[in-house]
Amino acid sequence: MGNLVSTVFDRLWGVDKELRILILGLDGAGKTTILYRLKIGEVIETKPTIGFHVETLSYKNLKLNVWDLGGQTSIRPYWRCYYANTAAVIFVVDSTDKDRMNIASKELHLMLQEEELQDSALLVFANKQDQPGALSASEVSKELNLAELKDRSWSIVASSAIKGEGITEGLDWLIDVVKEEQM
Amino acid sequence: MSTHTYKKAEDPHSGSLPDKMTIYQDCLNRFNESPVNPKLCRTLITSLLELISHGETFPAQEATALFFSISKLFQHPNDSLRQIVYVAIKELCGISEDILMATSSIMKDVQNGSDLVKPNAIRALIRVLDESTAFSAERLLKNSLVSKHPSVCSASLVSSYHLLPIAETTVKRFANETQEAVGDLKQLPYPDENSRYYPTTSHISQYHALGLLYQLKNHDKMALIKLIQQFAGQSSPLKNQLAQVQMVKLVHQLVLKDTNSIPQFLPLIVNWLQSRHEAVALEACKLTAALSNLVPSEVFAGAVSVLQGFLSTPRVTTRFAAVRLLNKISMVSPEKIVVCNPELESLVNDSNRNISTYTITTLLKTGTNKNIGSLIKTITKFIYEVNDDFKIIIIDAIKTLSLNFPEENETILRFLMESLQSSEGSLQFKNSVVEALMDLIQFVPQSKEKALEELCDFIEDCEYNEVLVRILHLLGKEGPTTKNPSLYVRHIYNRVILENSIIRSAAVLSLSKFALVKNDPELVKSIEQLLIQIKTDPDDEVRDRASIALQFIESVKSNNEVSNIAQNFIRPTSTYDVVTMESKLSQYLSQGQEAFQTPFDVSSVTKYSEDEKKALDLKRRQEQAFQHTEESSNGNGSGSGNGNENGGRKGDRLDDSTFNGTSLQEEKDDLLLSKHIDEMSSLEQFQSFGKRIHSSKIVPLTEIEAEFVVKGIKHLFDEHIVLQFHITNTLKDIALDNVEVVCQVEGLSEGLLDDQEEFVLPIERLLPDEGESCYVAFKKLTQNSDEIVVERFSNSLKFQSKELDPSTSLPFEDDEGFQDEYEFDSLFLSPGDYMKPSFVSNFAATLEELPYESVSVYNIVETNTLQEVIDKLIISAGGLPLENSQTVSHDATQHTLKLSGKSILDNAKALLSIKMIKTSKGIAIKALVKSDKDTLADDLSNNLI
Repeated sequence: MGNLVSTVFDRLWGVDKELRILILGLDGAGKTTILYRLKIGEVIETKPTIGFHVETLSYKNLKLNVWDLGGQTSIRPYWRCYYANTAAVIFVVDSTDKDRMNIASKELHLMLQEEELQDSALLVFANKQDQPGALSASEVSKELNLAELKDRSWSIVASSAIKGEGITEGLDWLIDVVKEEQM
Repeated sequence: MSTHTYKKAEDPHSGSLPDKMTIYQDCLNRFNESPVNPKLCRTLITSLLELISHGETFPAQEATALFFSISKLFQHPNDSLRQIVYVAIKELCGISEDILMATSSIMKDVQNGSDLVKPNAIRALIRVLDESTAFSAERLLKNSLVSKHPSVCSASLVSSYHLLPIAETTVKRFANETQEAVGDLKQLPYPDENSRYYPTTSHISQYHALGLLYQLKNHDKMALIKLIQQFAGQSSPLKNQLAQVQMVKLVHQLVLKDTNSIPQFLPLIVNWLQSRHEAVALEACKLTAALSNLVPSEVFAGAVSVLQGFLSTPRVTTRFAAVRLLNKISMVSPEKIVVCNPELESLVNDSNRNISTYTITTLLKTGTNKNIGSLIKTITKFIYEVNDDFKIIIIDAIKTLSLNFPEENETILRFLMESLQSSEGSLQFKNSVVEALMDLIQFVPQSKEKALEELCDFIEDCEYNEVLVRILHLLGKEGPTTKNPSLYVRHIYNRVILENSIIRSAAVLSLSKFALVKNDPELVKSIEQLLIQIKTDPDDEVRDRASIALQFIESVKSNNEVSNIAQNFIRPTSTYDVVTMESKLSQYLSQGQEAFQTPFDVSSVTKYSEDEKKALDLKRRQEQAFQHTEESSNGNGSGSGNGNENGGRKGDRLDDSTFNGTSLQEEKDDLLLSKHIDEMSSLEQFQSFGKRIHSSKIVPLTEIEAEFVVKGIKHLFDEHIVLQFHITNTLKDIALDNVEVVCQVEGLSEGLLDDQEEFVLPIERLLPDEGESCYVAFKKLTQNSDEIVVERFSNSLKFQSKELDPSTSLPFEDDEGFQDEYEFDSLFLSPGDYMKPSFVSNFAATLEELPYESVSVYNIVETNTLQEVIDKLIISAGGLPLENSQTVSHDATQHTLKLSGKSILDNAKALLSIKMIKTSKGIAIKALVKSDKDTLADDLSNNLI
């Protein structure tokens, strides 16, 4: 039965259709760790990303094309070069980094104003929940002024990429939303 | 494969290029698709690369867009697509500034990619790295350096090599890995069908590793020697022939710096000469040739026989390399390669013209009086078959020949005239023939009249203005002193009637010079007649020249004060030093309006009399003949006149800094000297000393890599001697205060010089990389200003060294510094400093004529070669070597050096004939000095060594 449903989906989507997802956020938020958590299910040792990583992964019978862009100040201006055809944006926030919450908020809202991202869904990971002193998801949501967002499907999920908590939950939500919107 | 059978690739421009904008749009669209089509993208990038390789560029904005769309292709795992993406990134990094965005993706491939894309990724990686990001790639590169895969290893070695200038500190840490890679014989990991036909590896990574290792260690001589010991020799792990060649070159470089190390490397050289790789053997021959007399003669003979064997190989490149090398040896010691003559003769008609030309010039060197005639006959046939570049090379060889074998001048003259008169040949060719003839006339006086007559015939029918003007000038210069000047006048006047105005005006000048012939009033009269007729010429310039010439002739006749000036105008007895003149004039012009109030002072430019000019010319020719002209031989002599003259001796004997001692270098030195002289003259302390009589050349007194580089110049004044020491501080973090040179007079001059200096002008402060001069002045005690004072000054530098404050780059304010001393070589004021080279055409006769004579005998116990002694003597006596006596063959045991010069103080002539005999006990020298002044002869002969 499940098989039948998935073939129906495949036909509707077109078998080759891939979903383009961007992972953005300030430097050191844990973007690369999340990407490889999704790709190989393990925590790898990372270095600051100069540029980007791109991985194709299958998730619930879908092909996801996930782009993890570097978060350093010098690289942020280049984010916009990768906005085209993006189905969803995953914004990762270091929940312990209270000092830079306002910067993260500014970058987030700036990004969402872009024409090319008007139709993409937004998932925010309040990451590093395993660390002491981490803000909770609702606190982060407040800091980032997520309530202001209109005409957009968004969600915030508390996560720990190191422990693997919250990542699948967040992605499940994202895929559901995207499927719904794009059907 | 011969070049004849090589199928020419189709002209890349014949097919039309794809449209730039279409490609650009297609790239943007296709690369941003999801999912991408790898095959289509590969094709698109190929077209894009084609455009770029044809010089198309994209404006910054488009280049950025292209780069980002290409970077999106990283999402596809296809290796072939990834490879071409890397090629594209390398091409784009020149025009797009956003290239660093690819860094992480590339690094990931270097780490985890397949063997196919790894090398490409490494090569692309170093293009995107800079000094700050190189650090993060350090571990990746180190891992690739020790990779078992030869392609990965090679790529990382070559990439590190290119990264070195960008991120030196990072690459310096690769030394161990690189060292390991040199000795490692890596195999490609694909044993399959093909490996039966192709070697599994060329071991090329060894060559790359050696190249990088050398870059890392080339400042450390001991490390280099250790490197050679480790990787050369019997048990050498080096399999790659390029790596072996590199090893030979390394040894080459080391032994040139330190000739004492030759015995240590000799077994290696002998071994290399027998190498089964031709390239290695050739390189070893090259090294042996460069060392020449420093290696045992049997080793040298071994190298020659290896070359001899190569002369008859079917491979053109090998033949060419061998004959080029033989040509080089022939410049120095033709007697050693006479054994190759049979092989060489069979190469004269080689179908490759590069080879045949080199062969002929080599044969011309090895030729003796006996076979030169027949050789020239061969060449006469041959020269019409080659193109002009080669003709010029051959003419140059003949030119050198004419200086070496003055007695063969008739044959040579005939050959040159035939070449000149033949209807073939370009302007450059004719010009070089005329130059050869001019040399012949100038330096081989016996051929003068004959050559001039032939030239007269030639100008009757010459199509090149430039050549004609030169010949007319030559006739005017040399004609009046011949037996029958009127003959030339007729020929020159014919030009006035028949040719265009450029030639006519040259002819007028030439004619006017004949008017100064003293003993033939008839001739003078007819020349005046001719000039009066020319005054009606339709061309202004010609008329003007005729009028002024007539005026001059008139005033010469009247025999008053003006006559000398007029005479000087018609036949100038001295010329200015063109290089100094040019620099002084441009300096004058750059000073601006105010300076133009006072006219340019031409007296500050050095003047040369005719003898001196000739001496300088001859000296330059001699030096040119021994010049190291690697460049011109690489460019197979196209257009360059001295393709044949890539001999080694002069270059090889001197140290590295003068290795390419071209005349350009000499001009630079001269300019530097005149700059230093100007600095000195502008100081008011020296104004009271009167006019400077002479300044020596710049003498290096330390090694060029010393902490403080000191160069000395000796200035002679009427009553004083000023020593100028130019000091450069090469230390990076130390400033020197109150720098002064302490000169100790050793007392050779016995009371002719005050042994306490008159004053010292110290340098206040010398910051890193700065150079300034310190002066020490001495007073002569002698009343006689034309007496020669010979002295040796032993020197040391006294200064306070102060550490620099890194923030201001100035010394710390409260630093008192500490007093330090630094000793450097002594400066020797030799008789040569009082002499200038001067040319005499007949040495033996002039030697007879001079009245005063002084003989002295020396014995040198040190084991110098004759050549070393000769070089020293030429410098210490300051004369011009004549009749090619400045060189000696290596196995000769005796030699006579003939020098000619004039005193700079009073222009007294001096000729030196120095006989030397080499015995087992040393070298015995007997110097005969003749002069028209007794003290000069004595001073010279007593102070030669």
